[in-house]
Amino acid sequence: MTSDEHDHKHCLEMFEKLSEYIDGELDQLTCADIEKHISNCVACFSCVETLKRTVAICKGVKEKPIPEEFAQKLRDIIQGLPNKPSAT
Amino acid sequence: MMTAKHQNRKKVKDNDSELIQAINSGQSNKFHDLVKRYEQKLYNFSLRMCRDPGDAEDMVQDTFLNVFRYLKDFRYETKFKNWLYKVAASTCIKQRRKSKFAPDRELSLDEFRSQDEAEVPSQVPKWALMPLDKLLNDELSNMIHQAILSLPEKYRVIILLRDIEGFSTDETAQILGLSSSNVKVRLHRARLYLRDKLKGYFKNDE
Repeated sequence: MTSDEHDHKHCLEMFEKLSEYIDGELDQLTCADIEKHISNCVACFSCVETLKRTVAICKGVKEKPIPEEFAQKLRDIIQGLPNKPSAT
Repeated sequence: MMTAKHQNRKKVKDNDSELIQAINSGQSNKFHDLVKRYEQKLYNFSLRMCRDPGDAEDMVQDTFLNVFRYLKDFRYETKFKNWLYKVAASTCIKQRRKSKFAPDRELSLDEFRSQDEAEVPSQVPKWALMPLDKLLNDELSNMIHQAILSLPEKYRVIILLRDIEGFSTDETAQILGLSSSNVKVRLHRARLYLRDKLKGYFKNDE
């Protein structure tokens, strides 16, 4: 079945749930429904894969090291703090 | 059987608990150890929340000062890291009111849906299939950093907490004082927004 032939309304329903799907936050029945749908719909399958990749890219971005000057500034500030955090 | 009230009072012990107890009992020199554990993570979170590195540094500094100030009130009802990010998010929101940032606007699901309808793909794009390590480089990192910065704040903070810092939906909801369903809705829109930016970035490669 091509993306033109199947029920397009179903694609729209899927679209809202795809992040929950890739996060494993949907019930089994809904997951099975989505899996059945994306096995026949290139557009929705592509949407799932590009969303997964978007998340993976976000997770894969390296952290920047904290600038040494700023780390030193933090150390200086901490040294000047009172002996005990004050209770509010 | 435990009541919900009892469960709420359950203490959460984590790797930071001992250190916090030591600081609260007068060993304030140990606060430096706590800062050391989180300064790198918090600095990067702040850089991604703020446009300006100077603002990010202010945010880290103010967050740690607030943590020190309110550490006595920490009740071990959540992991310290979650509480730290709650303080950081609140510090950031206060700070951002004083500065210039991306305007906060709603992202509608329809704007992403209509784009997808306009260009129905016949296959999965290469950038979604090739090995991630072949894809990730400094240019892409910079591009995604800028794309995250251009997200309206209420979506940006969600994607940072969920997809970069690795908090669960429920933890994110707790940190920001939102419902889990609200977190899910915003996360999906934020991801779709970034996905569109990535589609644009890789357009010429297809």
